[in-house]
Amino acid sequence: MATTDGVVVEVSGLRKEYPPDIKAVDGVSFSIPRGKVFSLLGPNGAGKTTTVEILEGLRTPTSGQIRVLDVDAARDYSSIRKKVGVLPQNFEPFDLLTPLEAIAYWADLFGVPMTKKEVEGRLEQVGLIHRKSIMSKSLSGGEKRKLGIALSLVNSPELLFLDEPTTGLDPRARRDLWKLIEDTKKKGTTVVLTTHYLDEAEKLADDVAIMHKGKIIAQGSPGQLINKYGKKTAIVLVDAGSEGLKELSRRGISGVKDGNDVIVEVGDPSELRVMFAKLSSIDVRYKEMYTRRQTLEDVFLGLIGAKMEEGVLQE
Amino acid sequence: MNKILSDTISFGRQYLRTKVGAFFAFVFPILLIVLFGAVFTSGEGRGVSLPVQNLDSGPYSQMLIEILNQTGYFDISEISKNISISDYVSDKSLSLALCIPGDFSSNISSSLPATVQLYGDPTKSSYMVSMGVLSAAIDQMGYNVSGGAPIADIVQKSPGSKVLEPYDFLLPGFVGLTVMISAMYFMTATCAEHRSRGYFKLLATTTLKKSEWLTSKFLFNSAMLIASLLLTFAIAKVMFDLKAAITPTSLIFVVVGAFMFTSLGMLFGVIAKDPESASAVSNIVGFPMMFLAGSFWDLSAAPVYLQAISMAMPLTYLNNGLRDTMIYGNETSAAVNLAVVLALGVIFFVLASRLMSWKEK
Repeated sequence: MATTDGVVVEVSGLRKEYPPDIKAVDGVSFSIPRGKVFSLLGPNGAGKTTTVEILEGLRTPTSGQIRVLDVDAARDYSSIRKKVGVLPQNFEPFDLLTPLEAIAYWADLFGVPMTKKEVEGRLEQVGLIHRKSIMSKSLSGGEKRKLGIALSLVNSPELLFLDEPTTGLDPRARRDLWKLIEDTKKKGTTVVLTTHYLDEAEKLADDVAIMHKGKIIAQGSPGQLINKYGKKTAIVLVDAGSEGLKELSRRGISGVKDGNDVIVEVGDPSELRVMFAKLSSIDVRYKEMYTRRQTLEDVFLGLIGAKMEEGVLQE
Repeated sequence: MNKILSDTISFGRQYLRTKVGAFFAFVFPILLIVLFGAVFTSGEGRGVSLPVQNLDSGPYSQMLIEILNQTGYFDISEISKNISISDYVSDKSLSLALCIPGDFSSNISSSLPATVQLYGDPTKSSYMVSMGVLSAAIDQMGYNVSGGAPIADIVQKSPGSKVLEPYDFLLPGFVGLTVMISAMYFMTATCAEHRSRGYFKLLATTTLKKSEWLTSKFLFNSAMLIASLLLTFAIAKVMFDLKAAITPTSLIFVVVGAFMFTSLGMLFGVIAKDPESASAVSNIVGFPMMFLAGSFWDLSAAPVYLQAISMAMPLTYLNNGLRDTMIYGNETSAAVNLAVVLALGVIFFVLASRLMSWKEK
């Protein structure tokens, strides 16, 4: 199997089994175009980390074909190691190295020695320059993760794996890391992002594969997934009640009652403005009007039948 | 009371579940009693080897040898009269040898002071015990010959040309022990920490190879241990006027020893999955090696099976080699021990490099 032009990762029929009969990854296939952010989304135990660790050359697959950067990942990984950056799950920095020392050390391990100025540039890039000389064990969770991303970027990789980079971080630290990932993508790096945060995948990913029990159960851009599996975008008229529904019906606008609210579905988000204008011109009494846009969370709920919090399905 | 009992049980449970706790509570004292008991038991041991050079042709030297034989403590052999006993002791790296001077019988007959010369390593337990047995034998001879009046003194002699003190003899054992502890314990713990904290997985994402990683640990250990040896030596020289010398061969021993124990530590690191297991594995192997590899005492009087175990311990060859070069100046014997240490190091290195995996199964 050869990757086609512009495809960085090509996976076909990937399986990883453990005795006696655990199927961690069960026949997964996908491809990742160059320069895109591809997200594997799913709850804990879905098989995301196993899949990416196989793509990182850290695990051996039971079967399947994997090509990464045009080489057979199961055989020739050493030839592309320099082109790949990895932030593993639960990344821990070396406690007794400062960020300055850690980045210089990591750059040497990739054979791309950096001057002190270059190292400081990397720390500036990830927002750690003010913490450059303290021991890594004293960094906060978010700072440690930033250092991890800085390490994964020392070799200016063509392909970057980020395995749950924001798990357990506070909202601000998450947003900081999102910015970093967006900046990395802008530089043309292909990013494989595993996450169990639906909003993260929706915000960052060009393409999302939802994994559950070792299989990919849905794949596409966030918009495509929402269009395919989610409900339509709707305008909600709060407390419009039966009277409101009747009035809309009289004007030829179809709606449904949800409690005392009236929901008007819009087939295409581009029709929203027109519908807003129509509704504003009708004399309907309501407390407020807002748009209910479907999210990946709704898609996930529809596909899996359960919500997910911190990677755990709320059955 | 229930709370105290419950807390006691809970604490005890947690303590014993830590492998380090269980090791020091149960395995360590058992190891000590078994090791010390085995080392000092006399039932199965063979006699202490005592080569004797008898330069005297009179009756009293024969009488002394006869009494020494009757003690059953010594296994006496003869050193030719034509060679220098000092060179003989050095060449054979002997920890014990006796010289009876040519005037021994004539001096006793003339009631003049007579002496015997005991060569060897005064830090060895066998040397001190042998000194006591020899002294008792001379006393007994005194009763037989003169009704109890002292007839001869024992003169302690050092091997080689230098006059060595007990701490000179201790130095090689301490150096060997330091090499083992620093390199092996450090490496086993490092491997366990790297695995439990995900550092190996992290390193596997770089272009660094396992053998390169191991080599860097070996280089660090070698440099650190040589610095440590030089510092220890300098302090001992200033404080105790040390006579034992750091020879070029002893520095090579430190480097090759660091290589061997770094590799062995990495091999143990394959077994140890976490820092607790690492400590247990290192201690289970390290403690017996400390006592049975001749760092503190020699095992010439120990049971035969214990001497066989000692020969299976890598530290034995490092200690023996360091003693050969630093005390006896016996470079031939040192080279043999160096070859063994190097060969073991290569075996451990190859095994460790192959068995250790940075990746997940």
